[in-house]
Amino acid sequence: MVIDLKRCIGCYSCQTACRQNNFTPRGVFWLKVLKSEYGKYPRVLRESLPFSCMQCRDPPCEKVCPTKATERDELTGIVIIHPDLCIGCKYCTVACPYGARTFVEKWKNYFPGQPLTPYEKYAREQWIEKRGEGKNTKCDFCAERVKNGLNPACVDLCPTKARYFGDLDDPESEVSRLIKTRRGFQLLPEYGTDPSVYYLPRR
Amino acid sequence: MSASEEVWIPTSCGGDYVYDAILVKKKGDVAVCIKGNEKSPMGYGRMCPKGQSGLMMLYDPSRVNYPLKRGNPMKGIGVDPKWQRISWEEALDIVTRKLKEVMERDPRAIFFQTTTTHTHEARVNFGSFRRAIGSPNWWVSGGAIHCGLGAHFAAGLYHSSWSLVPDFKYCNYALYWGVSKGHGAGHTSVPNMIQVADAKARGMKIVVFDPFLSAQASTGTEWIPIRAGTDGIVALAMLNILLNELEIYDGEYLKKKTNAPYLIKPDGFYMRDRKTNKPLIWDPVENKAKTFDDASIKDFSLLGTYEVDGIKCTPAFQLLKEHVRKYTPEKASEISTIPTKTIRRIAKEFGEEARIGSTITIDGKVLPYRPVASIFFRGSQGHRNSAWTCVSMELLNQIVGCADMPGGALGFPPTCFGHPETGQPYFVPTAAPDGLMIAGSWMYPHKPYPLNEPRRPESLMLKEMFPVEYYNPYTLLSDENEKLWEKAKLGYKPEILIAFGSNSIMTMANPKTIYENFLSKFKFVVAFEVYLTEFCDAVADIVLPDGSYLERLFPAAVMGIFNHPAGLGEWVWQIRQPVVKPLYERRDHMEVLLELADRLGIRDRFYKALQNAFTSQFGVKFPKRYSLDPAKRYTWEEICDRVLKSAFGPKRGLEWFKKNGFITWPKKVEEVYWRHFLDVRVPIYFEFFLDRREKAKKLAEELGMPDIIDWSRYTALPDWYPCQSHLEKSPEFDLYAIYYRHVLHTNSWTNQNTWLDELSHFDPYVYNIQINRDTAKKKGINDGDMIYVENVKGHKIKGRAKLVEGIHPEHIAIGGCGGHWTKGQPIALGKGVFFNELLEIGKEYMDPISFNQDICVKVKVYKA
Repeated sequence: MVIDLKRCIGCYSCQTACRQNNFTPRGVFWLKVLKSEYGKYPRVLRESLPFSCMQCRDPPCEKVCPTKATERDELTGIVIIHPDLCIGCKYCTVACPYGARTFVEKWKNYFPGQPLTPYEKYAREQWIEKRGEGKNTKCDFCAERVKNGLNPACVDLCPTKARYFGDLDDPESEVSRLIKTRRGFQLLPEYGTDPSVYYLPRR
Repeated sequence: MSASEEVWIPTSCGGDYVYDAILVKKKGDVAVCIKGNEKSPMGYGRMCPKGQSGLMMLYDPSRVNYPLKRGNPMKGIGVDPKWQRISWEEALDIVTRKLKEVMERDPRAIFFQTTTTHTHEARVNFGSFRRAIGSPNWWVSGGAIHCGLGAHFAAGLYHSSWSLVPDFKYCNYALYWGVSKGHGAGHTSVPNMIQVADAKARGMKIVVFDPFLSAQASTGTEWIPIRAGTDGIVALAMLNILLNELEIYDGEYLKKKTNAPYLIKPDGFYMRDRKTNKPLIWDPVENKAKTFDDASIKDFSLLGTYEVDGIKCTPAFQLLKEHVRKYTPEKASEISTIPTKTIRRIAKEFGEEARIGSTITIDGKVLPYRPVASIFFRGSQGHRNSAWTCVSMELLNQIVGCADMPGGALGFPPTCFGHPETGQPYFVPTAAPDGLMIAGSWMYPHKPYPLNEPRRPESLMLKEMFPVEYYNPYTLLSDENEKLWEKAKLGYKPEILIAFGSNSIMTMANPKTIYENFLSKFKFVVAFEVYLTEFCDAVADIVLPDGSYLERLFPAAVMGIFNHPAGLGEWVWQIRQPVVKPLYERRDHMEVLLELADRLGIRDRFYKALQNAFTSQFGVKFPKRYSLDPAKRYTWEEICDRVLKSAFGPKRGLEWFKKNGFITWPKKVEEVYWRHFLDVRVPIYFEFFLDRREKAKKLAEELGMPDIIDWSRYTALPDWYPCQSHLEKSPEFDLYAIYYRHVLHTNSWTNQNTWLDELSHFDPYVYNIQINRDTAKKKGINDGDMIYVENVKGHKIKGRAKLVEGIHPEHIAIGGCGGHWTKGQPIALGKGVFFNELLEIGKEYMDPISFNQDICVKVKVYKA
């Protein structure tokens, strides 16, 4: 995945798309838009940085998992959690340098203190069926959508078309070309995990 | 439908007044997903976070589900209304009885209040019902404050449109004066977001004037911090630089598309032809005066003075050029705090980037190419000098000739020749006898030009007596209002208020003022609502559970001058339809209004008003076979079917649109860049103000209210005047408080959306008060401290300080309209900051031309 920071305006649409498509419970966002400010008035920059699981080629979360619940899919490069194998030990949460993982004890509803709405019943069912409870969870590039030939939801809904999804192994793909021509970079490369999410600089 | 069956229903979003094309997935009877509809120009499948959070509104346990009656006879802010559930029958019996009683006496005593979020439904559905009842009284919640009276005035006058955007496809350099366009708020928000990102990638520069580092400022090319309310004087200084220092202007455009060549007499009025009364121009080739539209004109003089019939006349352009000389960059710098050299540089860049004289060939047609735009809205226009500020910013477009030209500043499309098969919808600007433009389609009953002919007031706002017939917060809301109504001899007082989705206790100004001076005067209040609001709690007698935008039907969600994407591409006509049957006992308000019209015996008038509304706002004419017959009773579905068949023929009625959601057809170059092709002019000189001023002033004197507004503002050329906040010199009140629109919220109603609330907690700014770090430190305020913000009248608000660098040191910035206190909205309760508490009502806080309320407040800030 490539995220073009020149196009991104930090509108939180991707964060909402992720919630809507993955039914993450209240308090859990697999994808977050971080806002930061640099400099001193009047020379100031404000930046938005959307980030989620980096789908590393050499994922530390996979290495520390005692039950092999976390596995990098060789074909797609997506790092998957098998909920039936996950024992919720949270080693992976600690191991991830990007803070991309969230342990979910119980699916919490969106309207605190209220009975489940028809939508929440559906959302909870979907979550429990796919992710279970008492398990570690994270973004999987909407693996199900990708299997069906679709893009991850955050890519399709982004109002500024700031996200690109494709094959990094294909040097002629759009993502590879963008990384090459627009000085694409990875976050925290010093951890040596070789993330599959690249960013294009704003300027 | 079986529980496992899945369908996608095409409809229009309504989380904001954008009305994106959406598809809602239903599994069984439950709506489970909202995504964008890829084929519609209203977003091409993209969505903002508000729209994606729609299901949290649909299924919110706090929604109003049944008709409610006030159990506590006491009214007031903070009073527990003790709601009691009643039946629809009982509710409509009460409403009918009350309405009948007042209608028999004087229907004008019935006042309407509507939301801005669902503008089309407010204006067509409730507007037509109001006309059928026979009342001239209505306002829009937040109108005059959150909306843009000055901006609509200028955009209407110059572009026949509600607002304007850069021609994203070709524009290279855009000035953004306190405006979001493409950064998450406002009209056509998502289509603009796509376009602005493409434009930036292509290399378009955006220079943003804003007191704080907003979404557009932080992602634009350059942020120019500016003192709130001073944009107008900077624009005037830039005009001065362009006209008098650099001599950059598009003479050809000015001669043919504006009143710049019109000859002005020493008394300020046009020199007119004796026979035809048409304004005259000077033809320098034949050295004689001719009517502006004389076919024999060889050229137009823009400069100099000429003698006609023994009277010395000057072209309007020469007067403008001289007039702006007093707005030196130095003076503008002192007032705005923008360095003089920056003002000079931006003016030069704007003028040079305009590439005056260049052309572009589009679709075989050669057109002027002017890739610059001066774009304005909420922030810059929300001030006491609103109308002139907007005109000043717009004049930058006019003098370089970029208005509605390729690359320039485009209105939301005001020219439509209709679908190729039916020629409908049709709306095209035309020329008045003096050559100036009359809008083809407009949202108000009165078009932006010609101005209103002042007449004896009939409405509680007394708006008929003013040249610009917009909402006037002063005449309605001040403690003088009863005296004014008496002087105007209205002969009635407000008695019943009918509200549609608006929370005027929170959205107009200081709630106590609004309640005591105005809302408390009503004997009976009925609200069509989705949530119980502070307004319902304070004054409503009956609350009727409305369907939300995902449960309602409307045949014309998107079109024309209000929120249709500008520029080349496609036209789209899109409907809104219920994705689920209204839940519980909620009902689409239109079904209720149709039933009420029958009960009140005003069906014929309601039908007539509805047809007129679709014609004037959407350009749809009803052929005889689809006209509404008052002898018959139609359902709302049947009426929508007739609207659609009128516009798109017998095969494309409601059933077709329910299946397809929308229809598109290609825009023509002659529609998009209409100005080049149409013989209409716009004013760089406001001669018509002089005449209307005298008439309105005379009328005001006759009515015993000579000082009702400051008549000296009605001049022929634009000026800058300070806001009340600029005049406040007490050292204690040292900061300007402003509020801004945030991508996560629409007006006051999204605070109750649980997903948007959760997202708001992620955002460092929207629920907090942004204050410059150095300023805060001097006051002993640390990041995260609770602080009070207090105005000179002692009204104060509380919120959490967010210390930032990205804000002008003299300002604090507050996002949206937070700080709800009703128990009816438990998610919203206490979240965010309630800016409007700080807004006062008074002539000194209002633009005397457009009546826009000033929204910059001088405050003191201290630790709570």
